[in-house]
Order: sequence, then structure tokens, then C-alpha cells
Amino acid sequence: MIGWRTRQRVVKVALGALTLGFLAYQWMPILTMGLLSFTGPDGGTTFPMRGVSLHWYRELLRVQSVDDFKPPMARSLALALACSLTTAVFAVAAAQAMRARFRGSGAFFYLVLLGVMAPGLLVGFGIALITRVLGIPLAWYSTTFAVHLVWTLPFGFLTMLAVFNRFDRRLEEAGLTLGASRLTTFRRITLPLVLPGVIGSALFGFTLSFDEFARSFFSTGSEQTLPLVIYAQFDRQLQPTLYALGTLTTVVSLLAVGSAIALLRGSARRTLTTRP
Amino acid sequence: MSTLRERSPVAYALAGPVTLWMAAALVAPTLFIVWVSLWTTRTFSTANPLGVVNYVRFFHRPAYVKVLADTVEQALLLMAITGLVGYGIAYFLAVKVERPGVRLALFLAFVIPFWTSALIRTIAWIPFLGVGGVINTALLALRVVDRPVEAFLFSRAGITLAQVSFYTLLAAGPVVYTLRNIPRSLREAAHCLKASPLRVFWRIVLPLTLPGIVIGQILVFLNVMADFATAQAIGGHKLAYLGNLVIMLYESGQLPFASVIAVLLMACMLAGVAVLLKVVDVRRLGAP
Repeated sequence: MIGWRTRQRVVKVALGALTLGFLAYQWMPILTMGLLSFTGPDGGTTFPMRGVSLHWYRELLRVQSVDDFKPPMARSLALALACSLTTAVFAVAAAQAMRARFRGSGAFFYLVLLGVMAPGLLVGFGIALITRVLGIPLAWYSTTFAVHLVWTLPFGFLTMLAVFNRFDRRLEEAGLTLGASRLTTFRRITLPLVLPGVIGSALFGFTLSFDEFARSFFSTGSEQTLPLVIYAQFDRQLQPTLYALGTLTTVVSLLAVGSAIALLRGSARRTLTTRP
Repeated sequence: MSTLRERSPVAYALAGPVTLWMAAALVAPTLFIVWVSLWTTRTFSTANPLGVVNYVRFFHRPAYVKVLADTVEQALLLMAITGLVGYGIAYFLAVKVERPGVRLALFLAFVIPFWTSALIRTIAWIPFLGVGGVINTALLALRVVDRPVEAFLFSRAGITLAQVSFYTLLAAGPVVYTLRNIPRSLREAAHCLKASPLRVFWRIVLPLTLPGIVIGQILVFLNVMADFATAQAIGGHKLAYLGNLVIMLYESGQLPFASVIAVLLMACMLAGVAVLLKVVDVRRLGAP
């Protein structure tokens, strides 16, 4: 019989191999796409790479007319920015309201979470149907914005609930006891303390909206957002320009989510050290 | 005491706009789909007489019913694979890794792709799956096969490979959370009482992580049921799930029939979640 220590080590090695194997499996396509986007002008969409160049990135900037990705990119950026700001404001409002434990706050919590659970394609489909009956035209800045916020808000809301959960209430109490009004206390004490969480929510909202495809599918009119333009390319011959575009948008997302995580972790550490 | 009094009217003012937004952009459109699905003619008008004729039509077409069965089958397959792989990864991250820095680094490497574009990640799979793709090149080099396997691109296998890489995180995340909440003393007590490690896992760890497993399974189920982009990009036009069917019917102008598919898809999703919630009372999640 093998000792328990050996058996534990065997389990650890096996699970470690599974984890590392999965991480490789998960990251390999993303990294391969990044690598292949730098292939030479004669290169194709798979290996072997033919030289190294910035050709396909230049191609992205050069292409005009139908395949011009710049207007959709600008729309997606504007939409993501609007979603991130609205998410931050609504998330703080909703989380503050939850702290007051108002009547119906339980139902309110589930209503907001429904935004994550509802299938994106069908939410967009529903919006397309209902606006058709009401005679409202579809557009990225109105209908798409409405359904994107339904998706981004729950993430900001949960982030803010978590931030308020580990928030030191005594600091607010001190402000109130010393005679500051509730509004002043919120503005001068609460908001500055939860600010990293607010910015984190905004950044999560940004990347979620920027990359959102399923919800945009039915809800966007003729002026399309970037993911829709990328999707339209599927039916044609793939070109390395698509990899260049994919690599660029992935870098944007990684920057946004990286800063969000760094902010939230930094604030967690500060909160912990201010406690006795 | 906080900056808002308990049940202060200000709370309603703060929650109001959010409630209205969710009602207008989420609840109303979803309910509207149910109404449209009952319209009996092709004309798009609220004056339509109501009836279930489109539902009858769906169930009389074996091809459509097969799409429904394929969708549910794919969801169950993904739940099984991501459930097993995800639990293993979660157990390693939460229990086996001792250094907090290493745990955080591995955890971030695991979750960060969730925040990047699913569409781009799907595209990234294409060079892997083709006849001249990375998997085939590797298999040929290792002499596992002597001819490239055509079955990866435009197939269930390819879709499954990509979906496993997208959704394992959803199955594992909640398990990591529940595993981290199990007090170490509980396991030590069981060991002191001479329970074998396997028995400790089976009788203590597994039951305590069950809520996490169920939440993870719900997330995977909902996402695979609603996934249409992976099937479209990797499966080409050869394979369709319910989501793809909604798009096809919408594009051919059959809006009430497309709504029927949408309603059936949502009904399956709700039924699946209801069954999974029967397994465990999720509201107990977070309680020690």
C-alpha cells in the first residue's frame, strides 16, 4: 500500500497537469492568432508563417469602402464608453439603494441579475420585434445601447455590492456623528473610498459592451458595430487582416480588464490595512 | 447607519431608473416575443388573431424537433465535460496550490479570456481545426494519423473543442468559491477521526461544494443553449442549433415562427434551471 503522502502528491501532480494543460489549450488559439497576424504579405491564415511583417496591420488602416473597419470601430468605442459611464452611475445607485434595504429590494436584486441570465440573442430579437411594432428605428446608439446596458449593469452592480460589503461603515458613521449631512458624507467619505470599485465597474462595462455580439445581432440597424462587421467576414475567405483586427481588439480588452483588476485589488489591500 | 436611512424614499429614487430600464429593455421585449409567437398569420401586426398553429407546425416537422434535441444534447455534453474538467481545475487552484501569489496568477490566467471577445476567440480556433491546421499538423508529425483529419472544421467535434475552451471557466468559478469557503478545520477533524482522504472528499468536500457545482452547471447550460456564433463560425452552415434557427427564420421574414423557436428555447432554459435548482438550495450559497 502506498502512503497517503505519496497519494496526495500524485493527485496534486495530476490536477496540476490538467490545469496547466487546460490553460495552454485556452490560450493557444489566442496566442496563435496574435502570432499569425504578423505574417508576411504572402502569408495565409494558417501555418507556416511566411516572414514577419506589419503588412496586415497596414492593410487594416489602408482598406477603404466596404471592408473599412474604422467607422464600426469608432461606433463600438463610443458605445462601450457610453455603456461604461452609465454602468458606473447605475451600479452605484443600485448598490446604494440595496444598502437601504428598501421594500422589494429582493425582487430588484433578481431583476438586475436577470440581465446576465437572459440569452443575449433573444433579448436583441425581442427589442427588434417590439420597436418594429412601436415604429422606433433600430440604431447602435439607441436600441443596441439599451440592450448592452442590460448586460453590463449586473456586473457593475455585483462589483459594487462586493465593494460595499467589505467597506468600513464606521468611517461613514464618523462623518455623520461629526455633523456632516448624509449627502456630504456620501460625497466626501463614501464615494472617494469606493472610487476604485466604481472605475472597475466602468472598465468591466467597457470591455463587455465593446466585445458584445449576440445582443447586437438583431438590435443594430444598418450602421453596424465592430463585432457585427467581423461576423459578416465569416462567410468570406478568411484573411490575416481579421487576425490583426482580432489581436488589436483583444489587446484593448486585456488593457481594460487588467486595469480593472489592478484597481480592485489595490483598493482591497488599502481597505484591509486601514482596519485595526 | 449608512448614508441612506433604512427604507429611505431616496432608495426608491435610486432604484427606480434601473428598474425602468430593465423592464423596458429586458422584460417587455421578452414577453413580447411570447405574444408574437401566438400570431397566426405572417403579417406583422398586433391585430393578429392568436393561436398555437405555429407551435403545432414546429412539432410536426422532425427536422426542427431534431434541432431542439441536438441543442439540448450539446448542452448536456458540455455540462459533463466542463463539470469534470472544471472541478479538477477548481480543486487544484483552491486546495492544492499553497502559494497565494501562484494561485492568483493561475486564477487570472484562467479567467481573463472571459473578458475578451468570444467572437475573436472563435476565429482564433479556425487555424487550429482546418485540414492544414495546427492539430492536424501535430497529429501528422506525431504519426498518430497518416492523412489529415477533416472532421474538425465544420463538425460537432470542432464546435465542442471550442466550446469547452470557452465555458469551462463558468463551471469552475463557483466551485473555486465554495471550496475556499470550507474551513480547514472541518477536513482536519475528519482526518483525525480516521476517515480516509477519499471518504473525506466524498462525504464532506463534495456535498459542501454542491451549490457551486450546480451554479456552474446552470451557467454552462444557459450559455451553450443560447450559443449560435460558435456553430455558425466553426460548423459553417452545416450545423444548426435553436439560436441559428431563430436567425434563419428571421432572415426569411417568418417572424411569428422565429418567435416560436425563441419561446421554446427560453422554455427549455427555464426548465433546465428549475431542474438544476431542485438539486440544491442555492440561497444557502455563501452561508458557512
